[in-house]
Amino acid sequence: MALFEVHIPILDDIKAKGLVPTLIAKTDEAVLRLTAGLNVEEIRSVLRGDPPKRPNPRTKPHADGFWMHMRPTYFHKKVMTLYPTFRLGWLSVYFLVFETITGLVLMLWYTPSPLVAFENMINIISNVPFGMMMRDLHRLGAEFMVMVVLLHMLRTFITGSYKKPRQFTWFTGGVLLLLTLFLSFSGYLLPWDQLSLWAVTIGASMAEATPVIGREVNLLVRGGPDFGTNGLLRFYLLHVFALPLIAFIFLGVHYYKVIIHAHSLPPGEENPGEDTARKIPMDKRSYFLPDVATKEIYWIVMWTGLLILMVTVGGWHAPLEPHADSQVTPLHTTAPWYFLWLQGMLKLGDKVFWGVIAPGILVNLVFVIPYLEVGPSRRYVHRRIGLTIAAVSVVAFSALTYMGTPYYAVSSSADQEVVAALVPQTHPGPLRGTPFEELPAGEYTTKQWDNAPSEGLGELLELFQHELHKYDDELPESEGIMVIEDWQVGLKKITFRVLWNEGDNSFSQFVFLHENSGYEE
Amino acid sequence: MTWRTAIGTLAVVLTSIITAFWLINEPARMAEAEEGFEGRSIEAGAALFENNCTRCHGPQGQGLPGLAPGLNTQEMFDGTRVAEVGWAGTLHDFLYSTIAGGRPVPSAGTTYPQRMPTWSQEFGGPLRIDQVRDLTNFVLNWGEAYELGIAPTVQKVVTNPIDPVGTDLSTPVLPNGDAQAGEELTTTLGCVACHVQTDVGPAWLAEADPNGEGIGTRASARIEETNYTGTATNSEQYLRESIVLPDAFVVDGYPPSTMVMTYGETLSKQDLADLIAYLVTLK
Repeated sequence: MALFEVHIPILDDIKAKGLVPTLIAKTDEAVLRLTAGLNVEEIRSVLRGDPPKRPNPRTKPHADGFWMHMRPTYFHKKVMTLYPTFRLGWLSVYFLVFETITGLVLMLWYTPSPLVAFENMINIISNVPFGMMMRDLHRLGAEFMVMVVLLHMLRTFITGSYKKPRQFTWFTGGVLLLLTLFLSFSGYLLPWDQLSLWAVTIGASMAEATPVIGREVNLLVRGGPDFGTNGLLRFYLLHVFALPLIAFIFLGVHYYKVIIHAHSLPPGEENPGEDTARKIPMDKRSYFLPDVATKEIYWIVMWTGLLILMVTVGGWHAPLEPHADSQVTPLHTTAPWYFLWLQGMLKLGDKVFWGVIAPGILVNLVFVIPYLEVGPSRRYVHRRIGLTIAAVSVVAFSALTYMGTPYYAVSSSADQEVVAALVPQTHPGPLRGTPFEELPAGEYTTKQWDNAPSEGLGELLELFQHELHKYDDELPESEGIMVIEDWQVGLKKITFRVLWNEGDNSFSQFVFLHENSGYEE
Repeated sequence: MTWRTAIGTLAVVLTSIITAFWLINEPARMAEAEEGFEGRSIEAGAALFENNCTRCHGPQGQGLPGLAPGLNTQEMFDGTRVAEVGWAGTLHDFLYSTIAGGRPVPSAGTTYPQRMPTWSQEFGGPLRIDQVRDLTNFVLNWGEAYELGIAPTVQKVVTNPIDPVGTDLSTPVLPNGDAQAGEELTTTLGCVACHVQTDVGPAWLAEADPNGEGIGTRASARIEETNYTGTATNSEQYLRESIVLPDAFVVDGYPPSTMVMTYGETLSKQDLADLIAYLVTLK
């Protein structure tokens, strides 16, 4: 009598049918279970593009599988083309996932402390294989994500897709837009370089303008009067934990609403006031398997390829300025580009009104649009006022964005502006982009620009001269002097002097340049 | 669907090829990036040195006699200096820890009147750790010149210990000074290291004074002041006194014993005469 008995059913099958047929059958079964309804034969049929059998077995995963049940079984053919969606909603999700993956890799090499954060950046770039690529991809993806989400909102407004019954979908979309902006904004601070510290400082200065509780809000955001250990940790936790968590929750709600209401059809497809998106006639159906799935795989491949292309062959790199220094405010420092409109509004006047109240009203207006604008028709001809307002808003925001840049109403002095054109404080700029060997030691004046000892130096002097002429009113009878000294082996000191009023007034500024620094203009 | 499959497949292949090339080049790229960051660190260190260190260690780290030792010297980089102070670690660590912690006690064989302050925020100084590291990298970079055997571009401090002028103000009578030589001396002696206050130039110039008065004018006014504690009766004597006996009279707002006290022993009569000849011309 055996102490225990082992019964392995597969052995019986092998005994009965032979090894190979049994393995094939078992594989088929495993695939069927994993896909929640599709066996190998059916998958091959999907990939071949065969028409489905009846009843369609390809709808089974949508009913039985977790991931597939989140996706509709079929879409209306009219929403599968580039217009009307431009795939912007899908792209937003793509970038959210893309940012999560690249972000998780970067998290392995990052410690949220002002003592080491910047050093972590140097380590990621110069010591981690693919580290720089991951950082570049993460940053580039973030820029794209903000753009795509903004365009997604604009598109939804233009096609009137926020109208009944999709008001709440729009509302959750508004939350997701804010989350996208704050995700990007909170990530800005993490490299702890001059760019990040000052961009975020400008953004966060709005918090201080909050009426009544400005001081408390400011302390809460920055973790102290200024950004430091606490502020960085707070932004890090917001960036990697709180905001993504909320974003994924709202994405769930948002997409659930998209599914139950279905994608709105192009406005011209249905009668005003009707919503026929859910009633898709048999001949207008485009099934998820295979049509939508293959298209999505295609776009994932193309976008990922494009992003990798941009950060490798394209030479796009995430900026990294010198270590954050709360004592040194760089000239021309700005908020991130998507908050420039806010910076522009601040130049209009009162900080409390233009920095808090006005943007607050605007943001809340976005949320309530579908509940205020209840005209039934989605057709463009019936929405001239709404579309005009949208167009005016786009123009206004562009203008405000321009006003947010240092080109508009900056109060710094002309002499500093001239030197900053040659050695900017927010990016490498022309001097640092000039080949080291083209900067021979000596004293040069801007008048010598056309017979400078090297081409690169000539270009710098010409630019210097050009910049001086821009400010002929502020700097009459000006002259620029550039002194280049050999300071150490491989290190030069370059002094810029601006003289005006026949040399009665002067301004000078120096920088050091090392031959290995490898700045890209 | 077929063209999409074809383009998609092509994109995957191309992306893989690009990524593979990137991987092959990754070690070289990382090495270059590391050098680049070291270069930028030296740049940052140079600016920090210029703003914080030149007042004692001289514009080119050549040191100022009686105030602080030279850093840009053969002894620093051939191991003599670390051996002298009995440092068992590397030169990098010696420099880093000295900058970070300062010199609370004088190092062996030196008798500088002032202690080097601590610089790192860890020890209550003003600089962040990365800035101390930048400074260390900058100072270490002077070693390159010694390693390559090229003479440092720095001019050694001109001193003439053979015939010092002394601190007795009445004798000897100074020879005739040469103002132009005096002007050069302000640079070679390192006076400009401490006496630079504005971007127009050294503090003794009329342009650098809020009232638009050069040191020559200021000197003649000072001896008339009621709280003047020195013995000079004209501006030449005042300047001589201020250089060799700095504590005889200290201008309001400045702490005593800040200026180097050893010029009486290190300056020749001619040098001092030249200096004064230059300074009195600055009205």
